[in-house]
Amino acid sequence: MNTGAIIMLLIGAVGLWGGLILFIIHFFSAAKKEAQAEGEDSE
Amino acid sequence: MEEQRDQWGGKLGFILAAIGSAIGLGNIWRYPYIAYENGGGAFLLPYFIALVTAGIPVLILEYALGHKSRSAAPFAFRSISRRWEWLGWWQIGGSFVIMTYYIVIIGWVLSYCYYSFGTQWGSDPDTFFNENYLGLTDSFWIVGGMQWKVVLATAIVWAFTYWLLRRGVSKGIELAARILIPTLVVMITIIVIRGLTLPGAVKGLNVLLTPDFEAILDPSVWVAAYGQIFFSIGVAFSIMITYSSYLPRRTDLSNSAFIVALSNTGFEFLAALGVFSVLGFLATQQNASIDEVVTQGVGLAFVAFPQIINELPGLNSLFGLLFFGALLFAGITSAVSILECGIAGVKEKFNLTRTAAVNWMCGLCALASILYATKGGLYYLDVVDHFVNNFGLVLVALVEVVLLAWVLRQLRVLQNHVNERSYIRIGNWWIYALGIITPILLIVVMGFNFYNELTTRYGDYPLSGLIIMGWGMAIGLPIIGFILQAVRSRDGSSPAAGMGTTEDEEV
Repeated sequence: MNTGAIIMLLIGAVGLWGGLILFIIHFFSAAKKEAQAEGEDSE
Repeated sequence: MEEQRDQWGGKLGFILAAIGSAIGLGNIWRYPYIAYENGGGAFLLPYFIALVTAGIPVLILEYALGHKSRSAAPFAFRSISRRWEWLGWWQIGGSFVIMTYYIVIIGWVLSYCYYSFGTQWGSDPDTFFNENYLGLTDSFWIVGGMQWKVVLATAIVWAFTYWLLRRGVSKGIELAARILIPTLVVMITIIVIRGLTLPGAVKGLNVLLTPDFEAILDPSVWVAAYGQIFFSIGVAFSIMITYSSYLPRRTDLSNSAFIVALSNTGFEFLAALGVFSVLGFLATQQNASIDEVVTQGVGLAFVAFPQIINELPGLNSLFGLLFFGALLFAGITSAVSILECGIAGVKEKFNLTRTAAVNWMCGLCALASILYATKGGLYYLDVVDHFVNNFGLVLVALVEVVLLAWVLRQLRVLQNHVNERSYIRIGNWWIYALGIITPILLIVVMGFNFYNELTTRYGDYPLSGLIIMGWGMAIGLPIIGFILQAVRSRDGSSPAAGMGTTEDEEV
């Protein structure tokens, strides 16, 4: 592959898939916090 | 009979269903070609900007509207102002029209899953598709009678879709998304890996990804980027308004919107790598350039891919089954979402049970879809698809954004609604994106579409066909919206209580 194509592949991968992974991590950490808060409330 | 309002079983289920709705046939057969035609790798720049300034903001807007009003589109708009219920019906009308032909295409895909066994399309997939399978007539106005192969496949898809919708939101749509979406991602990943290991794959990837930065100075490339983002994420169909209305009160809306939007765009980027690596393989096998083999839409799926499958060194049937299976799963999860917004709309308006609403919507839509299962069906499908996308959806999106931002001035109210329940707070960028950037770009896209339509006749179709099935349908949909608004609800009231407004009072 030529250099320009490799750079654009990396930009696409980091921008789209990297961004997605960050938001998924955020989703699960928020869900965990909510579950912990609900557990504390019920105690 | 009063039924309890449907609700998602969980947040993950909602996200998967919304991803399933957004990821459709277009992600696999439209995006790769659009990127290739508009600057290759450089297309990523306008595409990212369109995603952040239009795609994600409108998605959050629709989530907020549906979640706050807890209604399908007609009553969501009516909850702000009684005068604007018709806009929701216009959106549902557009979805209904799309569904009438989309389900027939899924029927073709189902047939091709079967034809993959032993590559039954033979050595000339073009002739097989147009003559043997579709039995395409010679000209537009020759309907040619029913094409029973297509009718049978469409009927099977209808039966499955109906069964899913009858099961309801959590036990039908959500369950299907939980199974089909992860499977779809695995299937596409296998296709990409196989594609990348084929000789000539690099040739295809170079064509797809090599940036032509001069292209981004061309306004039509930006129009293509904004158009792709709008069609792809599935806003202005009223689907996201309906889906978010089934969410529990306490739900992080902005994070969900980012996940859905990035899953959709990330998926189509992945699919593009797969499509262009196998196109590179095909070009190498045929000693041709990529420009000679590249195509999109129906031509890519039903002509180019069978050619590629024929050329593979082994496991041809399995690769065919994987590709058409992926299209089938992407199509089904989108189809249920397109129908669900209409089902929710008529259920609320006429106070029907879910079963009755599903029967009415699926029944009417199935009747209309018969037109596309005729031997002339491909002509009608092509014209209706062109007009509903270019003049229906873009215009309805423009009206929706201008209405909420400028006429009813609801952006601050909806921004507060999102921020009260989301970990990621949306700031003023969201207001500017929706109030200024999105309307201007949608006007530009509309202007381009009108200019192209008036200067170049679409396809080789007769003007009478374009006027009746194209312009007639595009103009008819908002009129039907007004008629449905004028019809009194069965119980005479709106179920939407969330927005807290009556008549045209501003919140």
